[in-house]
Amino acid sequence: MFKKILFATSATPAGDHAARVAFELASRFDAHVCIFHVLGVPSRGFSQTVVDVRTGENVVLDDDYKSWVKEEIQTYYENQLKDHQASDVSVNVGFPHREILRYARENKPDLIVLGGSTDENDDSVYKRHIAGTTIQRITKSAPCPVLIVSRPAASFWGGISSIVFGTDFSKASDVSFQYAYKIASSINDGELHMFHAVDISNIHSSLAMSQDKIEETLRMARNKMRSKYVSHLNGFKNYSIDVWEGLPYVEIVKYAREKQADLIIMSHQAKEVDEDNARLGSNMEQVIMRATCPVISINRHTSGLAE
Amino acid sequence: MSEETLCNRQPIQTEESLKRLLKDSGGAQYYKEMQSLDVDQELLWSTIQKTCKSRIRTWLEICAHCGMCAESCFLYLINDRDPTQVPAYKIQSTLGEIIKRKGKVDNDFMHMAMRTAWAKCTCCNRCGLYCPNGIDMGIMMGYLRGLLYAQGFVPWEMKIGAGMHRVYHAQMDVTNEDFVETCEWMAEEYEEDYVGLHFPVDKENADILYTINAREVKHYPEDLAEAAILFHIAGEDWTITSEGWEQTSLAMFAGDWEACKIQVESVYDAMERLKPKRMIGTECGHAHRATVIEGPYWAGRENGLPPVKCMHYVEWVAEALREGKLSIDPEKRIKEPVTLQDSCNYVRNHGLKKITREIMSYMVEPGYFIDMSPNEEHNYCCGGGGGFNGIGLYRKERNQALITKRDQILKTGAKLVIAPCHNCWDAIRDLEEEYKIGIRWSFLKPLLLKMVKVPEHMKPKD
Amino acid sequence: MQDILTGPMIWLSLSVFVFGMLARIIFYIRGLDWKLDRVAYRAHPKAGMKGAARSIIYWLLPFATKSWRKQPVMTVVFFMFHLGAILVPLFLLAHNMILKEMFDLSFPVTLHMCLADLLSWGVIISGIVLILRRISLPEVRILTTTYDYFILFLALAPFVTGLFVRYELGDYQFWYTMHLLSGALFLLLAPFTKLSHIVLFFMSRTQLGMDFGIKRGGMKEGASMAW
Repeated sequence: MFKKILFATSATPAGDHAARVAFELASRFDAHVCIFHVLGVPSRGFSQTVVDVRTGENVVLDDDYKSWVKEEIQTYYENQLKDHQASDVSVNVGFPHREILRYARENKPDLIVLGGSTDENDDSVYKRHIAGTTIQRITKSAPCPVLIVSRPAASFWGGISSIVFGTDFSKASDVSFQYAYKIASSINDGELHMFHAVDISNIHSSLAMSQDKIEETLRMARNKMRSKYVSHLNGFKNYSIDVWEGLPYVEIVKYAREKQADLIIMSHQAKEVDEDNARLGSNMEQVIMRATCPVISINRHTSGLAE
Repeated sequence: MSEETLCNRQPIQTEESLKRLLKDSGGAQYYKEMQSLDVDQELLWSTIQKTCKSRIRTWLEICAHCGMCAESCFLYLINDRDPTQVPAYKIQSTLGEIIKRKGKVDNDFMHMAMRTAWAKCTCCNRCGLYCPNGIDMGIMMGYLRGLLYAQGFVPWEMKIGAGMHRVYHAQMDVTNEDFVETCEWMAEEYEEDYVGLHFPVDKENADILYTINAREVKHYPEDLAEAAILFHIAGEDWTITSEGWEQTSLAMFAGDWEACKIQVESVYDAMERLKPKRMIGTECGHAHRATVIEGPYWAGRENGLPPVKCMHYVEWVAEALREGKLSIDPEKRIKEPVTLQDSCNYVRNHGLKKITREIMSYMVEPGYFIDMSPNEEHNYCCGGGGGFNGIGLYRKERNQALITKRDQILKTGAKLVIAPCHNCWDAIRDLEEEYKIGIRWSFLKPLLLKMVKVPEHMKPKD
Repeated sequence: MQDILTGPMIWLSLSVFVFGMLARIIFYIRGLDWKLDRVAYRAHPKAGMKGAARSIIYWLLPFATKSWRKQPVMTVVFFMFHLGAILVPLFLLAHNMILKEMFDLSFPVTLHMCLADLLSWGVIISGIVLILRRISLPEVRILTTTYDYFILFLALAPFVTGLFVRYELGDYQFWYTMHLLSGALFLLLAPFTKLSHIVLFFMSRTQLGMDFGIKRGGMKEGASMAW
């Protein structure tokens, strides 16, 4: 199902765990890996100078510099590239989220893999006016699923066997389900754990919601999951359903931990990228940041898999 | 000088020569060659005799040497009142001197003139407001740049920029296809959030023809999307053009008048082809100056006006807010100290000072807008105008120049600076990067989008 | 000598002055070029006139422009100098008597002696301040050439010599001759020197006024240049 994987990298140790996941998936699904690096952000108005994202220095962009960076990247991922022949490297200049989306639009990968956000530590000025982080912008607009490995603990070392599918019953969740099911059913001893969190995080609503009401909501959600998803499992047996109440991202992370998940698949709901909430993030981003495994985000743009 | 050199009197006319010049990182070879570039004194003098007439000659002659222009020039003030930064001195020691010597000047002199024209003046025209004799030294600097360009003594990035306009009719290597494709892409990316969003292309007899800055296509197409969304919300009958869509003109900064003509004619052709009621440009100051204010003269239009009525983006925004086409949710107005940058090219040089403040009255909660001092047409250049932002050779001088705007902003106590101009926006970004005073800055579009009411039929269904 | 200076010389110097200045005006206007200057002078006469008028009027009034307000001392000096430099030569009783005698012309008003004295001393004082400015202020010093001092001399000499005559100090004949000479010199050289600013100030300000009135905002609502 993943035949072409776009691995967008900063080509620094911060992305090593994401690299590992990207190449692991590539060999599992026999996919071509496109390594893509945005080497700099345009600076100095209309001039040819860019701020190199790795060194933070102003450099004058020309073909030589681009080739040099490409070589650097090939060297950096030498081991992976040795074992995995089907790959290529490209570099470009611009704002990372925009260039990654541009690359995705032109090359139509089946999956985008992103490493941990360097955004929190990066206080560079160009970030200041871009609403949202690179991860936010990409997960919102990508034409395909986006897999994020936010921290070393969130990469997997062995294989994938336990898949957690988090749903909010949206259309995007329907697509997420398809992906989750496809992945789970394609691997040996794959497990599919389907989960829904009932949001009682709003203080007022938890006071207003009686325990009876909460339990009724849990029941209804479970039924909905059965009718929406279980009916499409086509005989796949290794699944479970759970509905917990609480602060959604906390519950999902806890659930994934309990199920020893190797992968979480969720839908991306945010309609806008809100600058003010950029630091707080939505449920999606909290899960991404806190989960102990990679998270795949599927948005409204991603079309369903062919049956 | 042979054709093989990078630094010569020939303008860049082909993609090949453009790429060759681009390859010379930072212009190292280019500037080295400039050290031995001859001055074509005959050409220089004959050009002056043909093109330098009453206005400039008289300015140079009747300058009373009174020094009143000194305090008007932000570069004079920020460079510790260095007397060599007095505008009258700057122009008399270059253009004045060339004329006195009837063009008999040498390579060293031209280097000095180049430095004066591009590192010691942003052509902000503020000095013209302070001279009792009405001498506009900024205009003369522009004229000087033209002379220098023709002689090949022009900064590397300027030569490239003028070349870009000659080859691509845009300030960067963005083709017509790139532009239209990017617009389509933006429509796709945003149409889920704004139902019905699309970019009409080459529509004839529309109300509005929208022109842009090529950098938006290349680096932040979000701006294109935002413009489209706002037109959509306002219910405008608008269109883009697949050819002649670039409003900017680095050629103007470079002093390449021929390229200026080529560039604006490509936009006027679009106007004549599509016959819109009016043309509205993106948030860019020099684009407006080049295409709407100076452009008609390069194109030989005797009434000094473009083929159709042209408005700067801020004029459209003010009109849309005034007429209710765009309606702001009062809850979402700006409630933090905010100030406004007056872009020289459309405030001092086109009088739109009240328009931008009218917009502020809609967008900012009363009590939160703090004007800079001085302001309106007497405001100072952002520090990056006239090409200053992009010239590597003069980065240090440019960074020094930014201090003026920095201090103005600090004095207002604002946390947000609204800068409806690409160059000003860049300069303010750079000043934050350099001096870290903790401000944010923005164009109008993203701010408007956060606060305008979206019509029901445009909101996504689920 | 004095016969020449009080006779033909006055004819000559006044003619040269009047026709010379006229020629300067004509050459100036003929040398304007809408395409090179990038101002559509003829295409928008009303906007042009309005811009020109504002450009001149604001600058003829002390403290009426931001620039005048920013430099109050210079403004006072400037207007004090020019007020006297214009009014005294034109409206001094003694000058009017000569005009009446030679050309049968006279102005309906002449200056009261006290006023003439005041204005003349104003010219002298402000002249001195202008010279001191040139010497002491770095931004003026860098621009100043010998030529500037020469112009100041040309403009002040008639006043200095004039005051010597008026107060009958020293050798009356000598100072009277000097006064006639310096006056003639002023008139003869005016069209050929920076003193041509007497008319070119108006030309240049008109041009810039038209520029702002037509091209740089004047044709938009509420967008006239706030000098």
